[in-house]
Amino acid sequence: MPQISIIMPQLGESIAEAAIINFLVKPGDQVEGGQDLIEVETNKATMTVTAPCGGRVESFSAVLNESYAVGDVLGKIEATKEEAARFGLDIPAPAKSCDTDSEVISKKSRNATGSRVEPTIRGLPVPANATGASYMSPRLKARMHELGLSAADLAGIAGSGAAGRVTVEDFEKFMANLEQQKLTKASSMRVAVADAMRRSWTRPIATVGLPVQLDSVLAHRKTCEPKPGPALYALRALAVALAENSAVAGRLVGTNIVHPNAIDVGFAVEAEDGVLVPVLRGADKKPLKELTARYNELVELARQRKLPADATGGSVATVTNFGTFGLIWATPIPLPEQTLVLGLGAGRKMPHWDEAKGQFVPVMEAYLTLSFDHRVLDGGAAGRLLSRIGDLMKQPEKL
Amino acid sequence: MQFADFSTVAFNQIVNQASTLFWRTNVPCPITVRLPFGGTSGSGPFHSQCLEAIYAHYPGLVVLTPATVEDAYSMLLSAVAINDPVIFCEHKFLYYHLKAEKLPSEALPIGKARIAREGRDLTIVTYSAMVHEALAAADELATEGWQVEVVDLRSIKPLDTDTVVASVARTGRLLCVGEAWPWGGVTAEVIARVTAEGYGLLDAPPQRLNAKDTPVPYHPNLWAAHRPTARSVAAAARKLIRY
Repeated sequence: MPQISIIMPQLGESIAEAAIINFLVKPGDQVEGGQDLIEVETNKATMTVTAPCGGRVESFSAVLNESYAVGDVLGKIEATKEEAARFGLDIPAPAKSCDTDSEVISKKSRNATGSRVEPTIRGLPVPANATGASYMSPRLKARMHELGLSAADLAGIAGSGAAGRVTVEDFEKFMANLEQQKLTKASSMRVAVADAMRRSWTRPIATVGLPVQLDSVLAHRKTCEPKPGPALYALRALAVALAENSAVAGRLVGTNIVHPNAIDVGFAVEAEDGVLVPVLRGADKKPLKELTARYNELVELARQRKLPADATGGSVATVTNFGTFGLIWATPIPLPEQTLVLGLGAGRKMPHWDEAKGQFVPVMEAYLTLSFDHRVLDGGAAGRLLSRIGDLMKQPEKL
Repeated sequence: MQFADFSTVAFNQIVNQASTLFWRTNVPCPITVRLPFGGTSGSGPFHSQCLEAIYAHYPGLVVLTPATVEDAYSMLLSAVAINDPVIFCEHKFLYYHLKAEKLPSEALPIGKARIAREGRDLTIVTYSAMVHEALAAADELATEGWQVEVVDLRSIKPLDTDTVVASVARTGRLLCVGEAWPWGGVTAEVIARVTAEGYGLLDAPPQRLNAKDTPVPYHPNLWAAHRPTARSVAAAARKLIRY
């Protein structure tokens, strides 16, 4: 049998709720449609709630002396067959709550009268844009812009908004908490490096590595004056390799590969609180011997932070000698405007099997690493470039 | 007018003649049309309608929607005093349910909203009888720890955008409530203005709550479900605060 809810009616204008003062029937009683069921008291008068239909009172969910708002369900009536038919509930269906039943009724009656234009606006709409942890409201964006912050700075905030998004309240709390901790001003160089790294990290970056023997390089540099550092050999080898195929140093912009105009190669120099990247122009055109003096000069200028404008920016790749920190392996991040960064690890004496002598011999070995924008080249191309650089470094006299 | 609904019979005279008279002839049209509007229990589709948005659509008309007896009194003085044709929307709720201890002695400048309740978590912008539903919802939310600011527009044309935007600047969240239908209504206009002028102030998508987009029903139960009430305003506010 279908059940019909007994609902607290709108008893008068401005009356929002009423208290139950007396039940006039008991659960199980047979009632007629319109029969008084419950006496209720409003702030104005005592009134009655009547039966919505004829049938047997199933249950009262309302409690004596409690107040209920207009529209609240006070109980259920098991409707008679005739009544159920009148409500359009005579189709055999699993028991449902009255709320969904009334929707069924309205759908049915609507269908019965032919096609109707549905209302286009229904209450509070669901926001069209997707929410989620990464969603930033216009206000949050404006506030971050005002403070010069970027999305990466929000990483430490656990959001309390929908789907874990960071609300402005979360953000302001986070900022207020920061003030309770020791704050020091980041140097402008630190800020510049942070900005470059953040922009660079928007790309898929991968790293490959290859061990190279440095013995021939070290032997060769002893014969030179001034003595070039191992990193300069790597730089020159990179420049020669890129001169053979510059496409791998190109940048991907949309559907185009932007090829470099000249093989200008930068190298990382640690200076105070950051890293500077002076540039050797036309590194593929000049032999190692000619590059050494300029290289040493630029290192000195970088450390004094006096690099001339023509020695910064516009390079196609960078060499970084992380081996100076004793590191043997690293995954450097290329500059945002570059596709490649070549790394050189610390040299170590390693046992090397010498087939001719039939024994292990000590060699000086270091790792070359190449980090690259995976959109532009793949592991194969990166590996071939790195092997070529390794081969070139085996014959330093030709560099 | 006996009921705002019947003013549609005089629609031509109001929107074609009165609103344009000054602009056509340089002769002012200092009339005030009093429209008892809004729903009461059992009033049905012809005695419950809210027509403020329709009149506000027409240049040349001033549309006032007081929420209290004091405001109704002083705004009526202003309405009569000015030279523009004024559509004075008096909700029947004011007749039946509100009293004033003492009437103000001065007229109220037209076009200035008031902060009916101060808060920091959400701004509810509304007008006329819905101000009282919004205040009741704000009371309910206060018991849950949320401070809701309620802005009573008072006048919907001109619309006091400054007060609304300043309130959203304090709270970051906007809910507009109107007893009128949603389509092209006052609530839509307020949201459009806040989105255009205060986009960077919004920490959640602005929302509106209106009557259902159907004719006003007779049956008291249906009517109670048709229009926004303190309960549905509180539910919408909760959803927005948690966004």
